[in-house]
Amino acid sequence: MKREKLLSELLSSWEETYKKGQLTLWIFLALREDKKYVNEIKEFVETQSKGIISCEEQSLYRALRKYEHIDVLTYELRKGNKGPERKYYYLTDLGQELFDLFVQRNIKLFYSEEIKELLNF
Amino acid sequence: MKTITKYLVQFAIAASFLTLLFRISLSYGVENQSNWIVVLSSVIYGLAMFVTGRYYGQKDEKHLPVLDIGFRFHLTTFLVHNVISYLWLLCGFASQYEKIIALNIVLLIWGSILIVHFVVFLFTRRKAIKDLDKEDLFD
Repeated sequence: MKREKLLSELLSSWEETYKKGQLTLWIFLALREDKKYVNEIKEFVETQSKGIISCEEQSLYRALRKYEHIDVLTYELRKGNKGPERKYYYLTDLGQELFDLFVQRNIKLFYSEEIKELLNF
Repeated sequence: MKTITKYLVQFAIAASFLTLLFRISLSYGVENQSNWIVVLSSVIYGLAMFVTGRYYGQKDEKHLPVLDIGFRFHLTTFLVHNVISYLWLLCGFASQYEKIIALNIVLLIWGSILIVHFVVFLFTRRKAIKDLDKEDLFD
């Protein structure tokens, strides 16, 4: 029982650290698929990450504002069903290129046969 | 310019209002030769500007964490205070005992401090990409 508790605490601690840098990747993945407004991005992240990455609206807005500021994403205004116009975000050319380079250097490592073998143990 | 955020503009408006109130009370105090009014209005003005700057500064940081070590807010305060103060005097609203030399001294001392702040700000910008801290950009 003690060991299970320790394992659970260690896993939570590792996941907390791991998740911190993950939101950017998930936002980029969401926008890679299609133009989306905030709620759609949130839904994509939470669904596709199977609930592992929780996405608070405030953090999401803050991240989107930062990425918009550095020109990796931008938005177009479209009418919502009701109420004000919605911002539909999408990756700029710079954002696309940044995402491709990041994936090439950091994600594709996991697709090498040696690593796949280790992950599958 | 993207770093002129809505909170910086709101702060500039609030600071203008506070500076105007300060000039009115200061001129009234000087005209009536009341040290109490002069000291009290200066202290209240200083505190009010600090609280206002902190309030809008924190909101601004949450909105977009521009890495400027408070320089934009400092520069705004400097511009608002001095423009209103000079206009107040040059338009003849000030007390007969208020002299332009006092404003010039404030401008000189404060301006020197602002230049030092600007130099430190320039050094800090090395840590930034498009005004945002590169270490926090993708956190």
